[in-house]
Amino acid sequence: MNLRAIGCNVQSAAVELREKLAFDADKLAHALAELPARYGAEAVVLGTCNRVELYLARPEEEAAVHSPLIAEFLAEIHNVPADDIRPHLYEYADAEAVRHIFRVASGLDSVVLGETQIAGQVKEAFEAALKAGATGPLLNALFPAALRVSKRVRTETKLAEGHVSVSSAAVDFIREVFDTFSDKTVLVIGAGEMGRLTLNHIKELKPARVLVTNRSPERAAALAAQHNGQVVPWDRLDDALVEADIVLSTTGAPEPIMPRRRFDERVRPRRGNRTLVVFDMAVPRDFDPRLHDGDRVSVFNVDDLNRVADQAAAERRKHIPAAEGIIGAEVTRFVQDWARRQDGPLIGQLMAEADRLRETILAPVLARLRGKLTPAELEYVEGAFRLFQNRLLHGPIAALSEASRSGHAGTLREAVMKLFGLKG
Amino acid sequence: MTVTPLQGVTHVCFGLSYLVAFLLECGRLAWPGGAWRWLGLGFGTVGLLTHTLYIVFHQPTPAAPYGSLLMLAWVLALFYLYGTVHHARQAWAVFVLPVVILLVGLSFALVSSGGVSPEFGVPAWVSGERLWGVIHGTLLLLGAVGVSVGFLASVMYLVQARRLRKKLNPGRVIPLLSLERLETMNRRALFLAFPLLSAGLLVGSVLLRHNHDIGGNWLSLKVLSTGGLWVVFLVLVYLRYGSRVPPRRLAWLSVAAFVLLLLALISAHPFATGGAS
Repeated sequence: MNLRAIGCNVQSAAVELREKLAFDADKLAHALAELPARYGAEAVVLGTCNRVELYLARPEEEAAVHSPLIAEFLAEIHNVPADDIRPHLYEYADAEAVRHIFRVASGLDSVVLGETQIAGQVKEAFEAALKAGATGPLLNALFPAALRVSKRVRTETKLAEGHVSVSSAAVDFIREVFDTFSDKTVLVIGAGEMGRLTLNHIKELKPARVLVTNRSPERAAALAAQHNGQVVPWDRLDDALVEADIVLSTTGAPEPIMPRRRFDERVRPRRGNRTLVVFDMAVPRDFDPRLHDGDRVSVFNVDDLNRVADQAAAERRKHIPAAEGIIGAEVTRFVQDWARRQDGPLIGQLMAEADRLRETILAPVLARLRGKLTPAELEYVEGAFRLFQNRLLHGPIAALSEASRSGHAGTLREAVMKLFGLKG
Repeated sequence: MTVTPLQGVTHVCFGLSYLVAFLLECGRLAWPGGAWRWLGLGFGTVGLLTHTLYIVFHQPTPAAPYGSLLMLAWVLALFYLYGTVHHARQAWAVFVLPVVILLVGLSFALVSSGGVSPEFGVPAWVSGERLWGVIHGTLLLLGAVGVSVGFLASVMYLVQARRLRKKLNPGRVIPLLSLERLETMNRRALFLAFPLLSAGLLVGSVLLRHNHDIGGNWLSLKVLSTGGLWVVFLVLVYLRYGSRVPPRRLAWLSVAAFVLLLLALISAHPFATGGAS
């Protein structure tokens, strides 16, 4: 195996550098054409907002591509000085490169541990390289294996379970309360950043209506325009709350905008038995927490959502050892399978050559002895030669298998070919 | 009469199958994985099949307590299988199966305590003399299905509402249907059960009035608990449609209705005659 994974990620490079090294469609096409042509290497380029990585595989007998060369290549493509790139690149070789892509695809190397989006990005990167004709036997085996390992890690561990962002935790709570969303109204009070992010998640549920209210009509109109919503004047907040099923509140008001008394007097009697879920993202809080009963009205503040997100992240961390165990076993399996694929033809060639030599020597011997020995004795002589051949080849074949298991059989493979006069 | 091996199926066969299915479902919640689910479904299906065979060969009358319990358990076992297949991710079976096992257990206890000896062949209750008793029993049985479904939806609702009140992480608790879905299920069950219970009770009242021999049973536990069940349902219907009571209180009333239902079912039936009472 002659494989290298070279690149940078959030741990090794600041966002300013990663931005400069980002591949757009044109640069990607150029890189996928240049890497095989220039270095004779199979290539896949994986670029996400958190990483830029190149996976390069060359024939075993040829020298590997190392990070300084790739720093120059990236410098040329992105017009960034190579010296700025070089210190931030990491390089993984052979089995460690296999382990790296398996960890990346499984979300173990992600900022948000266990995130599943990365598997799709790995798949896209591989498909782009495949389409460009930049891949070969090793990467064509490696990337599908990485995607299979990623799926195995997700299904056999809880590494990808639970939602680790505040917005997705809010959606989890909503799903505990409501089943259908086509008849639901979302009310956004204020225009805070957290509210906007959460609204993006909630909009995926396809609610019937989005209402926006704000002390500033202009800001309300801007947010409503972004989300195809309706503006409700600030002085009609109570009416909007009567209509709402889900509320996102993110005002900067110094006092609660919805004390319990106001809600009980002006809103609750007009809502009937309908359930209301409030996400109070404001600090200080907009809604009186005493409104929360988990039945008719559920009020979740930013601490509640943060706690859920943190618990999910902590829960995911517990599954790292299990995920690493699966990856370790899969790396060994991949390396061995690859070695077997590489060694198979060589061992076959070696055995065939030994058979040919044995026949060359044994045939005249048996011809001379025929008539002098009984058929059983002749068979015994033939068996002795066969045993000698097997004993002789056992050492080289066992050593080759052993070296292949550790992923370093290249030199030994060459030695066997030279010693036994085999052609590659 | 020749008894085939299938007629040897007893309460124990399907009761144990449901129990194993329940334990496997609990295992699935603790250690999620495909095998638990399929094994649980397998045992649940075996339980339902043997339960069906038992009903086919023994033909228990719905006018008798043990028969009512057994048939109600059978309908709820169907409900369990439907829910487990339809709501694969939810902890459906761990709520429904205990009720099925409880009903099978109560029925078994009634059979074991004597006085009931299920017979093979054409059931006596099909004959005309007990037809109205059977109509009464069947109406109450169908009403009981509604009460039981309402009870299950209410228990799940109460668990879900409690988790929301405590703001428990949805990712760290056993998966349940949403409050909205459970409330809808409860409402539909109530909508189905109330007219059936009312009609069953009306038939029962007329029968009781015309049967001079059992006139004293107006004050029997069976009649009182069935009457109490109907009153609870009347209150439930009023609260549901006529006032703004929080759904959690309605859920508690549905639980109370189920307790009264059990009491009514295991009480001696005033209209059944023969071995069933």
